[in-house]
Amino acid sequence: MNWRIRSLKKSPWVFHVNTGACNNCDIEIVDLLTPKFDVERFGIKLVGSPRHADALLVTGVVTAQAAPRLREIYRQTAKPCVVFAIGACACDKGIFYNGYHVVGPVDKIIKEIDPNAIIAYVPGCPPKPEAMIAGVVKALSVL
Amino acid sequence: MNQHELEGRLTQLEEKLIASERRPHNRIFLLCEAENAYEINRFLFEEVQARFVIATGIDSDDCFEILYHYSYDQTGCVITVDTFLRDRDRPTIESIALLIPGAEWIEREIHDLLGIDFLHHPDMRRLILSDSWPEGVYPLRKDSVEPASRPDGEPEDRPQDQLKSPARRTISLSKPVLPVGPFHPLQEEMEYFQLAVDGEVVTDIDMRISYNHRGMEKISESLQFDQVPFLVSRICGICSASHPLAYVQAVEDIAGVTPPERALYVRTIINELERIHSHVLWVGLAGHFIGYDTVFMWAWKYREPVLDLLEMITGNRNNYGNVKVGGCRSDIPNELKPRIIREVGEIERKIDMLTKAVLDDPVLHARLKGVGILSKADAIRYAVTGPTARASGIPIDVRRDDPYAAYDLLDWNVITQPEGDVFAKAVVRLLETIESIKIVRQAVHKMPDGPICTEVKEIPPGEGCGHAEAPRGETFHYVRSDGGNRPVRHKMRAPSFVNVPSFKASCIGETIADVTITLASVDPCYSCTERLAVVDGDSKVLHDYSALLQLSRDKTDRLRHNIGSHRAGEEGG
Repeated sequence: MNWRIRSLKKSPWVFHVNTGACNNCDIEIVDLLTPKFDVERFGIKLVGSPRHADALLVTGVVTAQAAPRLREIYRQTAKPCVVFAIGACACDKGIFYNGYHVVGPVDKIIKEIDPNAIIAYVPGCPPKPEAMIAGVVKALSVL
Repeated sequence: MNQHELEGRLTQLEEKLIASERRPHNRIFLLCEAENAYEINRFLFEEVQARFVIATGIDSDDCFEILYHYSYDQTGCVITVDTFLRDRDRPTIESIALLIPGAEWIEREIHDLLGIDFLHHPDMRRLILSDSWPEGVYPLRKDSVEPASRPDGEPEDRPQDQLKSPARRTISLSKPVLPVGPFHPLQEEMEYFQLAVDGEVVTDIDMRISYNHRGMEKISESLQFDQVPFLVSRICGICSASHPLAYVQAVEDIAGVTPPERALYVRTIINELERIHSHVLWVGLAGHFIGYDTVFMWAWKYREPVLDLLEMITGNRNNYGNVKVGGCRSDIPNELKPRIIREVGEIERKIDMLTKAVLDDPVLHARLKGVGILSKADAIRYAVTGPTARASGIPIDVRRDDPYAAYDLLDWNVITQPEGDVFAKAVVRLLETIESIKIVRQAVHKMPDGPICTEVKEIPPGEGCGHAEAPRGETFHYVRSDGGNRPVRHKMRAPSFVNVPSFKASCIGETIADVTITLASVDPCYSCTERLAVVDGDSKVLHDYSALLQLSRDKTDRLRHNIGSHRAGEEGG
């Protein structure tokens, strides 16, 4: 298992999952791919299917309608994988903590189906692109 | 018709009303009983030709109220019809969705959240609550108890035919269905489209939202007036200046506060910088959708300096949190002025280049002209706002019609295009960016010195409407206060909530390849909308997700068999 986790460190391919975010974290994630930050230089690539992904970038509180879909996406992701909870909402529901339609946060939903899931947190509202890069680098360095 | 003539017309309604009130800031409130509501709505929409904005459902202590908000854009007057539903046990009212298609979604939403029944509504399916939400629990009722365990079960847990208001659509089996979403590489956010197709041509479209519904209107009731701007700036990350501004204007309306002049200029500059970065963002995404990735990369590169400016002014690239009731939280330092002028000048050159490139490119003309046309008549029926309306030849812009901040002190133009196709929408956005740059430049020069905030001691009982022109259209906020320190009801209406249902008018008859850019052309924002849905009336067959998936797979197989795997692969993706 160890070598398989280590193999995640090189050129991680990521899949972006919005589970009820306000779009801020999402545009900052897309921002990472554009010329100013351009993380594709390091082989980090946004892919169109969780089956191709090494990491999930999850943004947003998990709404009641999104929770089953998030579980399904996690099931479809090739293991081992890293889940990045991006932003205050994904980390701990943020300002929406008492919303009636909110069932998150992300780690609770993921751990329901896989207690050993690897979850990394990037707080901020929204985290700056630099913070996201730093978060990914830190997480990959402790794997 | 001017304001005087408008008020004259409204006197014709007198015998149907309980009372009518003229309030400051050009606001008119008409109070009536539920049985007269339909006739008054018809009069306002068809004869006065006011634009339907939104409806607000309220649980008052002894009855329910529905407030229909209209905007009469020629004079900037907001007309509110306050309707009382006296029967608390079985609240019902005549639906206006057949009269105004733009009201279909909000009636479904009010039904979901307050349990009010709309008679003769064409499609009363669930809209914004999740599939697994229990029947008969209405979160916005004051006496509502939260379900013991928060429902987040698999949708398959609950048989659809037992639901009073099934969430999933009733698409006809006779047509192949192409599902798009809820997660799709082309979409940043979750939404679930179902396209009924006949060959390549889309014959029907259905949308399911709720994935992004966070229940903010309820959360807002638990926050103090001064905390709410931080919540509403998180309705949508890209409109995070306009939503708080509309809310703050509604509260200032209640409190009768006028912010100092410098604050008005600061608000103007931040809102216009937001519009610039949002429109440039859209240009990039639109380029991406039609295969011009260079435009995507360039546009997003040019957007960065604007975000840097916003970070210098407010401390954050998005979610500025800068407006407050009575003024602003942070000032624009005078030393920053030359830098703002320099950066917007730089962006102006780039936008100029992009505009020329778009207008001169024969491929783009062929690809976008005549695609996804939203006619002027449809635009009025669906009550669309913002660039979507202006590209269909409707010259409305809250900044000019009901001036707020410092817009009436500056010189700028409202851009309109008559065609209503995707190309027109692109042109409107590009030219509007140039106008925004003009506004920023003038505002920076004219901004007077002085304080940026007046003190507001308390918010008296009352109600207020505020609206502001966000990059995507009009944001509308209605706030009611009972004199306490929290709003008793806060209705938020984002522009995409009325722009998105117009897909039904603009997508049908297009080919699948054109639908993506048509959907993108209104710059939809689902975190704003938090909802989406509709199609055929005759079939009553209910399908679950797997059946639809199977339908789609069968179709892909069939296509693969018929046309060869290459073409089928393209269509599936």
